[in-house]
Amino acid sequence: MYQITCPHCGPRAQTEFTYERTMDSVVDPAADAQTAMQALYTRANPMGLDEEIWRHTYGCRAWMVLTRHRVTHEIHAVRAIGPEALP
Amino acid sequence: MILPGNAIVTDATSIIALPAAPLHALEIWSNPEAVAKRVQKALGFALPPMNRSAGNAATTLLRFEPTVWLVEGDTSVLADTLGDDGALTAIGGGVVRMRLAGPHWRELLLEGGVFDTSAAAFPVGATAATIIDHVGVRLHAQSDEACIAYVPSSYAEGLHHFWEAALPLLGA
Amino acid sequence: MSGPMRPATGEETISFTFDGTTYQARPGDTLAAALLANGIGLVGRSFKYHRPRGIMTAGIEEPNALVTVGTGGRAEPNTRATDVFVYPGMVATSQNRWPSLSLDVASIFGLAAPALGAGFYYKTFFGPAKHWLRYEGFIRRAAGLGNAPTEADPDNFSQTAGFCDVLVVGSGPAGLKAALEAAEAGSSVMLVEQDAAPGGSLLRDPDPAMDPAVMIAQIKALGGKVLLRTTASGYWDHNFLTLTQRLAEPGAVPTHGFAQRLWHVRAGRVILATGLIERPVPFANNDHPGVMLSQAVRSYVRRWRVLPGKRVVIATNNDDAYLTAEALVEAGAEVVALLDARASGPAAPAGVTVHHDARPASVTGRKHGLRKVTAVIGGSEQSFDADLIAVSGGFVPVSHLHMQAGGKLTWNEEAQAFIPGETPQACETVGSALNPPPAPAVAPAGKAKKSFVDFQNDVSLADIDLAWQEGYRSVEHLKRYTTLGMATDQGKTSNMVALSRLAEKQRVTVPEAGLTTFRPPFTPVTMGLLAGAGARNAGAHVRRIPLHGLHEKHDPIWQPLGYWFRPRAYPVNGESLAEASMREARTVRTVAGLSDVSTLGKFEVSGPDAAALLELVCATTVGKLAIGRGRYTFMCREDGIVFDDGTVWRLAENRYLMTSSTGGADRMAGHLSYVRNSLRPDLKCSVVNVQEHYAGIALAGPRARAILASLIGSEPPRHMGYAPATLAGVPVHVLAASYSGERAFEIHVEASHAAAVWQAIDAATRAEGGAPYGLEAMELLRIEKGHVVVGGEVDGRSTPHDLGLGGMLNKAGGFIGAAGLTRPALSAPGRNNLVGLVSLDGPIPEGGMLIQRAGQSPQGHVTAAARRILEGGAIALALLEDGHKRHGEELIVSSPTRGEKARVRVTSPHFYDPAGERYRD
Repeated sequence: MYQITCPHCGPRAQTEFTYERTMDSVVDPAADAQTAMQALYTRANPMGLDEEIWRHTYGCRAWMVLTRHRVTHEIHAVRAIGPEALP
Repeated sequence: MILPGNAIVTDATSIIALPAAPLHALEIWSNPEAVAKRVQKALGFALPPMNRSAGNAATTLLRFEPTVWLVEGDTSVLADTLGDDGALTAIGGGVVRMRLAGPHWRELLLEGGVFDTSAAAFPVGATAATIIDHVGVRLHAQSDEACIAYVPSSYAEGLHHFWEAALPLLGA
Repeated sequence: MSGPMRPATGEETISFTFDGTTYQARPGDTLAAALLANGIGLVGRSFKYHRPRGIMTAGIEEPNALVTVGTGGRAEPNTRATDVFVYPGMVATSQNRWPSLSLDVASIFGLAAPALGAGFYYKTFFGPAKHWLRYEGFIRRAAGLGNAPTEADPDNFSQTAGFCDVLVVGSGPAGLKAALEAAEAGSSVMLVEQDAAPGGSLLRDPDPAMDPAVMIAQIKALGGKVLLRTTASGYWDHNFLTLTQRLAEPGAVPTHGFAQRLWHVRAGRVILATGLIERPVPFANNDHPGVMLSQAVRSYVRRWRVLPGKRVVIATNNDDAYLTAEALVEAGAEVVALLDARASGPAAPAGVTVHHDARPASVTGRKHGLRKVTAVIGGSEQSFDADLIAVSGGFVPVSHLHMQAGGKLTWNEEAQAFIPGETPQACETVGSALNPPPAPAVAPAGKAKKSFVDFQNDVSLADIDLAWQEGYRSVEHLKRYTTLGMATDQGKTSNMVALSRLAEKQRVTVPEAGLTTFRPPFTPVTMGLLAGAGARNAGAHVRRIPLHGLHEKHDPIWQPLGYWFRPRAYPVNGESLAEASMREARTVRTVAGLSDVSTLGKFEVSGPDAAALLELVCATTVGKLAIGRGRYTFMCREDGIVFDDGTVWRLAENRYLMTSSTGGADRMAGHLSYVRNSLRPDLKCSVVNVQEHYAGIALAGPRARAILASLIGSEPPRHMGYAPATLAGVPVHVLAASYSGERAFEIHVEASHAAAVWQAIDAATRAEGGAPYGLEAMELLRIEKGHVVVGGEVDGRSTPHDLGLGGMLNKAGGFIGAAGLTRPALSAPGRNNLVGLVSLDGPIPEGGMLIQRAGQSPQGHVTAAARRILEGGAIALALLEDGHKRHGEELIVSSPTRGEKARVRVTSPHFYDPAGERYRD
C-alpha cells in the first residue's frame, strides 16, 4: 500500500485515495472527435515515470497529479489541481 | 451538552450518537481571500486552515476540504457574506455525529483505520477525513477526552456496532 | 527416545490431549516441547507417502510436526507443534493418518514411492476431462494435510493501524540492541517477536551481558511498543508492513472475543533482525522421527529442559553444532559421535569423539526415535547405536522480508548462503542474518531416493535429479514440477538444499542456478484475519435507509441492493412475493401507492455556473430549464455510451437538484467531482452530495395528486414541475416526476424528519385505498412503461440511440460523450436496440436469448421480463440487433439453462400509455 503525500493533508495511506487516469488520457471536453479519441484510446504507458491523476476521495476529496514510477512505485512529486483554495 | 463542571470522568470509552444538528457545507469558489475577510467579520473568528477547526458558542467551522467548510450550528450570519463567491448547502440529514469519549478514543479510531490518531499527528482542535472499516468518516479532536466522528447516516449503526465490539481490546 | 530431564524448576501444571490421550505440560512449553517431554516422537504422517514424521525444529520453520489444534469452528489445521504454546484443555490431533497415527493404511504409498516421484500427477492423471472427475476424488483423498473446519469460526479478528519511526523485527540479540538504541535516540519504536518469549537465540544460548526481560522493560519505559506472538508476515510498498498477532493460541477461547489482530504498520525505518534458519542434511531416511536440527536440540535442552534423545549422534559442517554437544553433555546425554564433514574443527567437550571427513549416510528407526545411525567416515562406513541425530548443514539467513521489500541478495561463498544486499526501501538487516557462520558445501552421502529435501511435500534428492533428467533446467520449472518449496512452510528448510543439488547437476555455482522469489506471507495467515470484521457481514456494512425502522414494522421482504437494504414488497395475508408485488402495482395503477426512494443519487449544484456544469455532465439540454421545472436526463461516458440517468430540477435561479441512479450514486459523485475540479476548476459552482441528506418518498397513481394536495394544502406542481411545500409540518421538496407511468411525485425531505412525512402520506394513501409498494412492484411498473434502468438496459454498451433516447440529445453538443458518439461504429448497423416483447404463449424467461429459429446464434437478449399489470399477459424489454427496425417480427426467446422458451412479437418498449396522457391532470 502506497503512502501518498496529499498536498492538503500530508502523508496518508493509499486506501484513502482513488486512481482516476493518466494525464495523457484526459479528454478535453472541447476537443474535436479525433483528438478526444486519441486521448481516450492511445496512451504512452511508459516503463518509468508517468503522471497520474488521483483523488483523496476518503480524505479531503481534492484532486492531484502524482509523478509515479511505474516499476518501483516511487512517487517523485505530487501537485494539487482544482479551484483556487485558501491555505 | 457536557459542561466542564459536570463532565463525568470515567476510565471506560463510550460511544454516543448525538442528536441531529444543523450542518451545512460552505463552499467558496471565487475570491477566497475577500470572502474569508467578510466571513471573519461576520463570525468574529477566522475561517480555519486545512484540517483545523474554529468556532464560538453558536457556530463551529471544521475544514476537511480545500474549498469547503463544514458548518455546525447557526448559519444565519453567513448567507449574506458569500454573494456570488460561494454557497451554503444543508447536509445535516445525512450525517450522524458520534461522540467517542474516554481515555482510549485515539486507540479506538485505529481499529479498522489507516490514519495516525496520536496526539502528535492529530492534536486537539484538528480535523481529519479518513476511512474506517471501509466507511468514510470525518473526525474532530475536541479534547484529549473526546472526539466527534461525523458518520454517513446509512453507516452509523454499522460503525457504532463495530466500535462497540472493539471496546474490549482497548488499553490492553 | 526423548526423555524427561526436566529438573526441579517448574511443574507440570497444564493438562492437554494429543490424539485423545491426556498429557501434562509446563507453562511456556510449545506443543513440541511438551510432546517430547512425554516421550512422543511420532507426531504426523507425510503428505504423499504417509511416512512417519516427528519434530525436526524448534521454530516456525517446522516442516514435519503439523497438527490440528482446537475443535469445531476454532480448529486450526496444519499448526506447527513448534509454534503453538500449550494451554489448559488444549486439544491437539495428528493429521493425514487413518485409522491411527501408528497404524496408517495409506503408508503403503511409501512402498509405491518409486512410482509416485516428481511429476507423478502430470504423468498419471491425463486424458479427457471426464476422467478428471474420477481422478479428483483420488487425489483429494490421498494428498493434503489437515482438514479445514466445517463450522464457522466463532471468534472475531481485529485489524489495527500502527505508526512508528522504527520497526524492529525479531527480538534476538541484534533486534533488542537495535530497538533499545532507537528508543534511546528518541524514536518511536515497535519491536515484534513471533515467539511468546523475547530473546531469539538468547533463549538457547544465553548471554550474561544481555537479559531480554530487562531490555524489553527498558524499551517499554522509553515508550516503545513490544508485540510478542506477532509475526511480520508481509512487507509492502513505502515501508508498509502487515503483522499478524495472536491474541489467543490456536484453538483457545480468546479472552475478549478476538483471536488475532492484523496490524497495518507504516514505519519510517525498518530493522530486520530476523536471524538464521538451520539447514538440514540429506541422507537416507533423514525424515524419520529422531532426526532433528542441531540448534533445535539445544533449544529443547536449554530452554525447555527436555532431552530429545539419550544417545545422540551429531552431524555438522560448522562449529555451531559443537555447542549442541556441550549442551547435551551438560544435560547428561551421551554424545555417541560427532560427525564433522570438515577436515578439522574446534575442540569438542570432554568425552565426545569427533570424526572428521564424516557424513551421515542413513538411519534406521523405531516408532518414536532412531535405532541406528550409519555414517561414511573417510570413505568407510561405520554404524552407531543412537536414538537421536542432531544435524546442521549450515545456516540460511531469513531474508524473506528483505526480499519482499524489493531487496537484492548477495552470495556468501564461505557460508554457502544468500545474504541481504541492497534494498530500495528504508530498511536494513542486522545481526546473524547478515553474518551467517562459515559452513562449506558437503556432498550428500546417502541414497538419493530416501534423502528428503522438502519434507512437507515429500520431495527427495532423487526427485530433483529426475526433474533434471527430464529437462527441467530453470529453478522455477524445478519448483513447479516437483512442488518443491510449495507447501505451507514455503521451503524454509528445503530451498537451499535443493538449490545446491540443482547447481551441482548444472555444474554451476548456486547463485548461477538462480533463486525463487519470496512472497508474503512469511508464515501462513488465517483467512478470517484478512477479512477482519467483514467476515461477519460479507465484507461490508449494510447501509440503512432512514426509514428502515418504519418499514420493518410492516415486515417487508427486504432486497439487498448494493450495500443498501430496501423493501422489495409488503406482503399481507400470507401473500407470496409475486402476489404482493402484483397487488401493489395494481394499486398504483388504479388508486395510489407510496414507496421509499431514499437511496437515489442526489446532488445540489449551486452557483452562477451551475447550469454550465450540468450541461457538460448531462447529454440533454438543461440550461434552458425555467425555475420550478425539471426534466429527465442521462449521462454519457467519454466514449459516447450511456452510464447513468436521472432528473434535473431548477430549484432557484442558481440552484439545481440532480438525481441519479442508486447503484451509480458513488460513481456519479466521483464523476461530478472530476469534471468540476479537474476539467473545469474555473467554474463558479458548488456540487454537494445530498444523497443521504434527503429521504425520498414516491407517491404515484391516479389519486396521488388529490392525496398530496390535501397534505400540503395547495395544488401540487404539474408533471415535471417543482415546488417547495410543508407536509406534516416539515419543509419538503415536491418533484412531479413519474417512474411508474402514473401521475406521480417524489417528496424529498431532510432525512432526520422523514418519519413524520412518510406516516402522513401513508395514512392519507391508505385512506384512499392505496398501499405502500416495494422494489418489485416498481420494476413491474417501469417495465410496462418502458423506462430503462441502469444495470439493466443501460448495460455499459448502449448508446442513447440504442436506447431510443437519441432524440433527447443536446443538439448543440458540448456535453461529455459528444465526441465519442461520432465514432462510426456507434451508428453502424447491427447494434443492439431497445425493444419490447409481447408473448404469444407463456411467460418470457428473464435473461433469455432472442433467436429466429432453433440452432441460430442469439440476436439479442431479454433484459427484464414481467406481466402486464391490469390486462395480464407476458411482456419484456430486450436488446435486439437492429431492433428499432424489427417491430412486428416474431421471434423465439430461449433460455437453455432454464429449459424455457416463449414465442414473442417485437414491439415498441412503451406498453402502457405511450402518449403520456396519464401524467396530465
